[in-house]
Amino acid sequence: MNTNSNAYTVIYTTLVVVVVAAVLAFTAMKLKPSQSANAKAETLRQMMSAAGIKSTDELYATKNADVLQLYADNIEQAYTIGLDGEQNGTLSTELKNIELVDNLKPQNKAIKENTGVTLPVYVFKSGVAVMPIYGAGLWGPIWGYVAFQPDHYTIAGAYFDHESETPGLGAKIKDEAWFREKFIGKKVEWGAEPAFKLEKNVEATGAENAVDAITGATMTSKGLNEALNVWFKAYEKHFGLGAFFGMLEEHEITNEEEE
Amino acid sequence: MDKKLKETILNPILKGNPITVLILGICSSLAVTVQLKGALVMAISVTLVTGLSSLVCSLLRNSIPMRVRIIVQLVVVAMMVILVDQVLKAGEGTYAIDKQLSVYIGLIITNCIVMGRIEAFALGNKPIPSLLDGLANGVGYGLILIIVAFFRELLGSGTLFGLRVLPAAYVPNNLVILPPFALILLGCIIWAHRAWDKDLQEK
Repeated sequence: MNTNSNAYTVIYTTLVVVVVAAVLAFTAMKLKPSQSANAKAETLRQMMSAAGIKSTDELYATKNADVLQLYADNIEQAYTIGLDGEQNGTLSTELKNIELVDNLKPQNKAIKENTGVTLPVYVFKSGVAVMPIYGAGLWGPIWGYVAFQPDHYTIAGAYFDHESETPGLGAKIKDEAWFREKFIGKKVEWGAEPAFKLEKNVEATGAENAVDAITGATMTSKGLNEALNVWFKAYEKHFGLGAFFGMLEEHEITNEEEE
Repeated sequence: MDKKLKETILNPILKGNPITVLILGICSSLAVTVQLKGALVMAISVTLVTGLSSLVCSLLRNSIPMRVRIIVQLVVVAMMVILVDQVLKAGEGTYAIDKQLSVYIGLIITNCIVMGRIEAFALGNKPIPSLLDGLANGVGYGLILIIVAFFRELLGSGTLFGLRVLPAAYVPNNLVILPPFALILLGCIIWAHRAWDKDLQEK
């Protein structure tokens, strides 16, 4: 048979592509459940790491099934809010309905275009409330979770992840425990512009709503700064109001003490 | 025949090592050798991809239209790479490593070793020798990867496979973690390899 004729070439390549497509579609279908179980557990690990349920290392050493159980044991409630800060939906805390990181991208777009957003808030039994962030790093998307103490302005913990930031530089937002630990105890200044800053020489100025950016990773730090502020702005009415009353209460208490 | 088969298996690991002699696959050997775990997974992935792609292309070798053979080979290799990536993503233990290796698993398709072995060997040989040739080249590649990763993880983090080996007082060397050090190390391995095997030295 002439394997160099046009008709043969066209039929042959078509056949190869169809067979390959069928094989890939079949495997993708077969592996989908275990892949999404992994993705789900990964999301929960990051969220619980931010909320300080367990240390990051411990969470990554925990099996998927135990991570799901840990989440089920610790979650109090989960709901969604709009840009007005009002609750506009509830999220099931059942394990099958966990919001994956993939869902943050359309929300990020919705925030920027000011269309109907449903931003998730996760409240754990310890009173810690977790919100996600999402934005663009240098090479690809970056995202993460920021956890607040019950006063809604003191940061209880944070966890950041990225798709393809430079190893050894931008990737430090995920790899280095000291970076996320720097956020603990910092205070978000709701209503301020910007509410939170990644900049240099923070240790010298002692600013409460700022964290040192990463040396050598200017673009990743800028991206993270932007992501934090865009999402803090979106959550401002929700957390900001609670934080305002919280501060008021605190002041009354101190006033009483002074008297 | 037996001797030829033995040659097929041993040559890519020693005398014809894809990295130290043919200088192929340098890119990924710089990128994924910061930790042994990642290097090991990468080595296994590349071995499977080269072996299976060579096998499939060898089976097809008499029917492939010569004019489009590169494209057909590319489709076969791409399929193998996607399969490996999907399987890694599905495994509970390998999910985190797959995330860490990120684009480099997908970039196996551009690894010159894979296409090189198909063009040079699989298209002219029977399926079984082709499979062995592909696997052996993957092992030769993986061996160097693991040697480089061993030194980089030991000196750069003080650990092996994530377990602490050097005392906590050891200050990790940051240069070792950066890609240039992999190149320096690779140069040293090539030097040692040529000093040991006199046949490789140019007259």
